[in-house]
Amino acid sequence: MTQGSTDRILQTINAVILGKQHAVKLALSCLIARGHLLIEDLPGVGKTTLAHTLATTLGLRFQRVQFTSDMLPADILGVSIYDPEKHQFSFHRGPIFTQLLLADEINRASPRTQSALLEAMEEQQVTIEGESYPLDDPFFVIATQNPTHQIGTFPLPESQLDRFLMRIQIGYPDHHAERALLIGEDRRQMLKQLTADITPDELLELQLSASKITLSDALIDYVQVLLAYTRQTGQFYNGLSPRAGLGLIQAARAWAMISGRDFVIPEDVQAVFPSIVQHRLQAREHLQSADWAIEILQQVAIP
Amino acid sequence: MASKKPVIAPSQTAIHWLMVTLTIIAIPHFFYQPLWVALIFLLMMGWRVMHSWRGWLLPADKRLLKVLHSISAVLTIVLVFYSYGITIGRDAGVALLTTMAAFKIVEVKSLRDYYLSCFMGFFLVITHFFFNQSIPIVILMLLNVILLTSCLITANETDSSAKNRVKQASVMVLQATPLMLLLFVLFPRISGPIWGLPNDALDIPDSLPDSMTLGEVPPRNSAISGMSDDITIGNISQLTQSDAIAFRVKFENNQFPDRQNLYWRGPVLWHTDGKRWLPLNDNQKRLDKPLQIHVTGESTSYSITLEPHDRRWLFALDFPTTYPTTMQTQLTADGELNSREAIKQRVQYQLSSHNQYQFNPEMDGYLGYGLSLPDDRHPRSQRLARDLVEKSESSEAYIESVLDYFRQQNFSYSLTPPALRGDTIDQFLFETRQGFCEHYAASFTVLMRAAGIPARIVTGYQGGDINPVDQILTVRQRDAHAWTEVWLPNKGWIRIDPTSAVSSNRVDFGIGDLLPAERRSPRAIANNDRLVEMWQSAKNNWDALNSAWDMWVVSYGPERQLDLLKKLGMHQPDWQKMISWLALGIALIFSWIAWTTLRLKSVSQDKVQRIYQQFCAKLARLDIVRQPNEGPEDFALRAQQALPAYQQQIATISELYLHSRYRGDAVEEDFFDSVKQFKPHH
Repeated sequence: MTQGSTDRILQTINAVILGKQHAVKLALSCLIARGHLLIEDLPGVGKTTLAHTLATTLGLRFQRVQFTSDMLPADILGVSIYDPEKHQFSFHRGPIFTQLLLADEINRASPRTQSALLEAMEEQQVTIEGESYPLDDPFFVIATQNPTHQIGTFPLPESQLDRFLMRIQIGYPDHHAERALLIGEDRRQMLKQLTADITPDELLELQLSASKITLSDALIDYVQVLLAYTRQTGQFYNGLSPRAGLGLIQAARAWAMISGRDFVIPEDVQAVFPSIVQHRLQAREHLQSADWAIEILQQVAIP
Repeated sequence: MASKKPVIAPSQTAIHWLMVTLTIIAIPHFFYQPLWVALIFLLMMGWRVMHSWRGWLLPADKRLLKVLHSISAVLTIVLVFYSYGITIGRDAGVALLTTMAAFKIVEVKSLRDYYLSCFMGFFLVITHFFFNQSIPIVILMLLNVILLTSCLITANETDSSAKNRVKQASVMVLQATPLMLLLFVLFPRISGPIWGLPNDALDIPDSLPDSMTLGEVPPRNSAISGMSDDITIGNISQLTQSDAIAFRVKFENNQFPDRQNLYWRGPVLWHTDGKRWLPLNDNQKRLDKPLQIHVTGESTSYSITLEPHDRRWLFALDFPTTYPTTMQTQLTADGELNSREAIKQRVQYQLSSHNQYQFNPEMDGYLGYGLSLPDDRHPRSQRLARDLVEKSESSEAYIESVLDYFRQQNFSYSLTPPALRGDTIDQFLFETRQGFCEHYAASFTVLMRAAGIPARIVTGYQGGDINPVDQILTVRQRDAHAWTEVWLPNKGWIRIDPTSAVSSNRVDFGIGDLLPAERRSPRAIANNDRLVEMWQSAKNNWDALNSAWDMWVVSYGPERQLDLLKKLGMHQPDWQKMISWLALGIALIFSWIAWTTLRLKSVSQDKVQRIYQQFCAKLARLDIVRQPNEGPEDFALRAQQALPAYQQQIATISELYLHSRYRGDAVEEDFFDSVKQFKPHH
């Protein structure tokens, strides 16, 4: 079932998001690898549409929060309000209690609010006034972020960026895709007509089978030389963490599964590598981020 | 004042290791050396052992002990000179080195001392080859070199186990082997005293005597010194007890002459005082007239590897018609082949001989010597000769009647004949009538001369054993033989072997058959035919190995080297060329080592990976080069686009590779086969 269902999901999404097969596949891999996704791009290239389409096709409940600078943690997590009739506090769940949360323009919010969200993402639960409220399972956050040089943004600290498994860019569509987009149906209309391709239970199943994809010693060798390279090359302030390595393997497994294989090959690692490392590594010199991730892949021989 | 450098002391383990090694190296010397060498050696080792065990002080700890140690070392040196004389030869040198190595062990304090002791050990290893260059000694010394190397490792690395250190040392010695072989083959060999062995290094267990004395039967197993001029000992019967090798013969195309013709000619004896037989002196041997040799029939070519015997004779199959000039070989007037120098090390020479020949048929300048008999000796023999001459019509008939006399009277062949006293020839001919070749040759010669037929005794060897393994004929000292040559007008010198008249077995089957059974195989297995056979075949193989070793390794001298290098394609080898080849070879070996060491990093030991690299190499030949960072699937896709004709094959190989490397479930043989069958071309 895995092969068929992932193909179907990709087909559905690619019908809405035109000409972005690679980004779409990465986004799907990220979710199947149980990772949160950060999309960094300019407004209007289809970040929200992608998140929305994913949620719908995967059959997930969907909430969208537009982040602003005056937002408080309670606006996301929820709040305890005194109920005079019952003479007690009752918890009003915030938008985070959903299966897929789209956190739009996360870097517009204050660091305090950002932290509240990221903490919840990490813990898989919300703790307010000593009470813990577990989040849904599956639970994903797709955050979008404007390029950091725009005015009025609070860039996410590196430690928090690490909570996102992947950061992807969508970019402008190419000539043909854009033309098809311009003459095609209204995207919002299309979204409304979309139906779920799988159920949340099936998604959990997909996640489980992705985690069982065969990982050979030879492949682990490759991942290790990649990690070692980032630590030894001296181009970066810090090398990749073991968590990044784990993420790389999870994502590569998901990618392999979506590609219809039950074992991981170096190409899978190479496909997900830039999206895993770009937001985790800080180059010493100002390098175009997309390029240096690929440069690492070019420098490191496959053992 | 300069500050003193701290002394780095070797570990106790290292010192113990070295002590054991040095003792193992020294032990074989104890058998050759006087007892006191072993005693001093063990005394010094014991001192060091007591230091480790009971904390005894060492020379370095107390001035008094230091003085004591130095004095005993000096006394030992004096003792060596006292025992061996002032000139330091082989034995004295070894005694000195062995004892001093032990004195040094007690002194070892710093790492420097330790290394010095190790290198003394390496020198001690070399000294063994002065005594013995056989295969077992080489193996033993190779093990000793490994042990010494592990000593050097131990001094620098104490935390690895003894087994690992020995293993590492073995690997190092093994790695040095190509270099060793190269040096062995190419290092210029110079013949001469500088490179020769010390004078006393020549061990000649047995060899043919340069004279013959009839009737002296030395006691069994008495030692013969080949260098001795003492005429009272040294005759052929004693040699029959020796299994020592005289020489080895390799016949061209393995064509062996008949056993009856295997007479290896050596010294020729002329003069006699009735008891002792002597060769011509050097003056008499000078060749005034050229030898006249008329040959008929085919010649036999062969090469002889002669063991050193410290005499000038070179043995040759009767009769040598071409002989080497490299050793300034000359043929004397009586047909002895002589080298200019005494043979002090193993030599090899090429010869060819004719079986059918006439030797000086018309005239010979020495006939006078061949007729002389001492006055008033052998009266009964003279009388017998006169009787037989009267009955014979010709010289030939006389010779035949003498041989008949040996056959018909009660003569027997014995390796242990009764001692002869008085007139030895008469006593043998008419009383004891038991003897071996020299008795028969001598008495036959006397009977010939008494009848006026010129005669002389030729000594040498007869027969030999052919080893079926390598087809090499080995002639041992026990094959020593003596026969007679008589001169007849128009026929020249004719070989007559009177021994064969008495015992045809001696000539037909060799002396081996006449030896007691326990000389041929160990007594314990003598009753079991199968064991005897197995023993014999093992012995043959061992002999073949030894003769190959002796011929190719031990006797690899200047001539052999030139010969081999010519065969290897060196044009007119000289030492400059050898040195440059050597330098080139060393450079090649080192670059190979460098290349493999550097390559090891990139080459995976994994077989699947190796085969995949073969696949990539095949494509690289068509300019489809896989980048190191290129995934196998990406590469396959690219290759498929470049070679559409092989799409299917490439896909299969790539699939099998991915499965065996990244999934671990493919049948690796399928992958190997498909790569093997993959032969792409544009």
